[in-house]
Amino acid sequence: MNCQQFQEVLPHIIETGGSADEEAHLQSCTACSDLVRDLKYIAEQAKLLLPMRDPGPRVWTNIEQSLQREGLIREGRMSRQGHTLTITQTQKKSWTPLGSVLAALAVITLAVVVINYHPRAIVTAHNSPATSSITADDQTLISQISQQQPEVRQAYEDGLKEANAYISDAQKAVDNDPNDDAARQHLQAAYHQKAMLYDMATSRSLP
Amino acid sequence: MLRKLPSSVILSATLMLGAAHLCAQSTKQGKFNIARGGILNVFDNAGSITVHAATGQQLIVSSTPHSPKVEVDSSSTPDGRRVEIRAHALPQQKPNNDEAKVDIDIGLPPGVAVTINAATAPITVENVSGDLTLSSDTGQVTLRNVTNSHVLVKGIAAPISLTNMTGGFVDITSNSGAVQLANVSGNKVSVNTASGNISFQGDCSGGGNYVMITHNGAIDVFLPQTASVDLTARSITGSVENDFPLQAKTHTSFVPDAGRSFAGTSNSGSSSVELQSFSGRIRVKKQ
Amino acid sequence: MNTTNQLLSRISDDKRPQKGKLTQAKKTIATGLSEAEAIERAKGGDAAAFEGLYGLHKRRVYSLCLRMTGNTAEAEDLTQEAFLQLYRKISTFRGESAFSTWLHRLSVNVVLMHLRKKGLPEVSLDEALEPQHEDGPKKDIGARDNVLAGSIDRVNLERSIESLPPGYRIIFVLHDIEGYEHNEIAEMMGCSIGNSKSQLHKARMKLRDLLKLSRAEKASRR
Repeated sequence: MNCQQFQEVLPHIIETGGSADEEAHLQSCTACSDLVRDLKYIAEQAKLLLPMRDPGPRVWTNIEQSLQREGLIREGRMSRQGHTLTITQTQKKSWTPLGSVLAALAVITLAVVVINYHPRAIVTAHNSPATSSITADDQTLISQISQQQPEVRQAYEDGLKEANAYISDAQKAVDNDPNDDAARQHLQAAYHQKAMLYDMATSRSLP
Repeated sequence: MLRKLPSSVILSATLMLGAAHLCAQSTKQGKFNIARGGILNVFDNAGSITVHAATGQQLIVSSTPHSPKVEVDSSSTPDGRRVEIRAHALPQQKPNNDEAKVDIDIGLPPGVAVTINAATAPITVENVSGDLTLSSDTGQVTLRNVTNSHVLVKGIAAPISLTNMTGGFVDITSNSGAVQLANVSGNKVSVNTASGNISFQGDCSGGGNYVMITHNGAIDVFLPQTASVDLTARSITGSVENDFPLQAKTHTSFVPDAGRSFAGTSNSGSSSVELQSFSGRIRVKKQ
Repeated sequence: MNTTNQLLSRISDDKRPQKGKLTQAKKTIATGLSEAEAIERAKGGDAAAFEGLYGLHKRRVYSLCLRMTGNTAEAEDLTQEAFLQLYRKISTFRGESAFSTWLHRLSVNVVLMHLRKKGLPEVSLDEALEPQHEDGPKKDIGARDNVLAGSIDRVNLERSIESLPPGYRIIFVLHDIEGYEHNEIAEMMGCSIGNSKSQLHKARMKLRDLLKLSRAEKASRR
């Protein structure tokens, strides 16, 4: 088997492995083994690419306007259910720091929505801070920022403390009066703050 | 059978136009063709980023690295829909804070959207009309003379200042950085801070919706006598003060509480203004 | 390997190509209010539910559209169209499949439909590749001492993917980034499985050239 013959069948065997002849050629030919190694390396690296870009702000505005025009959303139609809701996270133990942080971001993002749905609900988000302290996910985030951009670490740590304090205060106000729309809006704004911190940090984490 | 691609499409899209590979302490300039409706992405952590209107139809990028340990890569798609400018450290180099700085100056043709990601670099944008998505950890963000744009700004401890903006949408989220808006009007203007102070000065014209909310930052709103607003201000535990002449509303969605909330209208009440703090002071004054 | 790659390598087990490779977001919301509950709210016309679902998935849908089209304006239009289609159809979602997988497939179809309308070939059959002969001169960029392993960074890879001809790029994105199998790609694109494999191979070969070229250009500037 020569290189041309090997490379003709390569698209069909690169993932599954080839015949004895093909494997033998691969073992003996530097050019073809380099080629296969490069192609596999490209495929491996591609699998690691994460979605890191957000659409521009106009996109949601356009969607919202279309939904309103089509009558798919009803303005001011918020749920008024009084049951308790809990968002928890069944986190896989094998999760790595970034996986954990991304998952935390998703939960925080959804928490912003939840609060809007359930003005009377007592919403406890995953790792919801009881005080202005730093949670385990926050600590993971700070560690990553420390590695990548130590000069802004303090800003993120302070920001997380601020956001957690805001969540804590707003949560107490909602607990105190579940009918208080202002308290609910603060809780939503507080989670929005925290979501922003995670969003900015994770966007930045892959330069 | 599907037809063969035209060669222009097959051609590689990543062009190192202008070859903006720059030497330390010297300024290099690259020119790019960018389509109206295209987007410019800028990544520059430290140094400074300035965006202003270009005199012609080309995008002009000037970059000045502060050390030989950093460089600026630029790329664009052949259809001119996207240009990316990225400052980064060279492999195996560990620039300190000063060495990592790159100053980037951009002349922007009309109708081009801009996305900027910075850590400590101050961002200044003026006299443009495209959409802006700006993100800064601690660097000052300054916008002046922006029209009909969707403006999205996110900051951690970055002070944010917007002056003379008309039309469009403004959405600012700042953690501890102060937010100053002067003569800003739009369909929707939204500011959310945790501890950052918010200052608004203008007439809220255009029948838009203005929402400012903070945890413990102060909110100061200065309105001219001609402002036509339907205004509510509420604080959970902070104080609320008003010396702007408003006609008190008889119906509100909350029970007014002296010193904690008020609601009223001026003139025809065409724009909605909603001010909310958790513990920060809210003050509305006549300009 | 740079920090980014090290970071990514650590999460590689989590990021193996799942169909649509949506992160763990959906699966991690377990009790009380789930994403499914948010979907139910959206079915009832709750504006905040729509916005929340958009916030949760916008980055991923937009990134998919951008990688497939290589054009930001088109990608934004297609993101908008994908979410609008999603919201129009959300009442029919019964939860048989994961919401994210459903959304992902819907987004892919939106992009493919758009590309068909534009008349761009999704699969080109007639571009031959030159085998790398063991005899004869090797191309500079394929030289033995110039293998890629360990040298790709994310930015260069993203740029090179953008530079691929559309037909190659789409199959590469669907298979290598998004984790679709050849039989699924063949079904979506209306081509044979062999054709999908062949196009993927050509895409990787082209990427190899582009990445080596980029590296050589960069080295020559230093």
